[in-house]
Amino acid sequence: MSEEKKKVAIVACTGMCKSLGTVTRQVAYKVVEELRPDKTVLICIPSLAANVGEYKKYLRDYPSIILDGCVERCAAKIVSKNSGSIKGRLFLPQLEKKYGLKPASRTEIGSEGEQLVTKIAEEVATMVDRLLQ
Amino acid sequence: MKIKSRKIGLISCSGEDMPEGTISRVATRRVLEDRDDVVSICLPLFLAGGQEERDFAKENPCVTVDGCEKRCAAIGVKKYGGVDAKSSIVVSEIVKEGKFQKPSSRSKILPQDQRLVGFVMSTINQEIKEVQEGKD
Repeated sequence: MSEEKKKVAIVACTGMCKSLGTVTRQVAYKVVEELRPDKTVLICIPSLAANVGEYKKYLRDYPSIILDGCVERCAAKIVSKNSGSIKGRLFLPQLEKKYGLKPASRTEIGSEGEQLVTKIAEEVATMVDRLLQ
Repeated sequence: MKIKSRKIGLISCSGEDMPEGTISRVATRRVLEDRDDVVSICLPLFLAGGQEERDFAKENPCVTVDGCEKRCAAIGVKKYGGVDAKSSIVVSEIVKEGKFQKPSSRSKILPQDQRLVGFVMSTINQEIKEVQEGKD
């Protein structure tokens, strides 16, 4: 794998209509800005779908991890449409159940939401490490 | 049906790329929580093929709130919904006017950015009023 390949694209649905959409967004920031800043790039879903910016190139060059907040699975659909190579998928309703942590609202995810962000971000970071081994 | 009796769709870019996207998202969310005459259209769902969202945009006036000049929400509505938004707000253009400090965090709204969020909210409310009054 070349130096150019040593990153993973993180794609969060960031859906406005569900609190878990807000959680996907926070998880993505935690991974990209705090946990694995040198190993990841953040894909802006609206820019990708609107075909504005360089995100298609990232998806061509890097494997991606998808974070979807609801059954519509918009992030996965948009990445697939753009020929991205999906190497990991996290479906947040399942993780919400797994950890027993519920975000408070769509605007303020609250203490349980923050804990959920931390736990999921750690899972994503582990996936990133595995993909880059 | 008169526009007044219809709901107005609010579509925020939710752009992860820059702090202005976070401002647009939070301001839009807060306006939605304050009013019952507007509905949120989830942009990722709209872009991914959500037929209900696309039909709503065709049948009702929409206001887009974009974080930056790429205007992905406005472009997405045109490209996938086949209609122009009645009004289009761009947070980075508001910041460029110089009355507000450029926001610096993508992940949260910092105390110094609350004033900008409030201004974007009042801009959204003003645009909604104008669309309701048929000034579009």
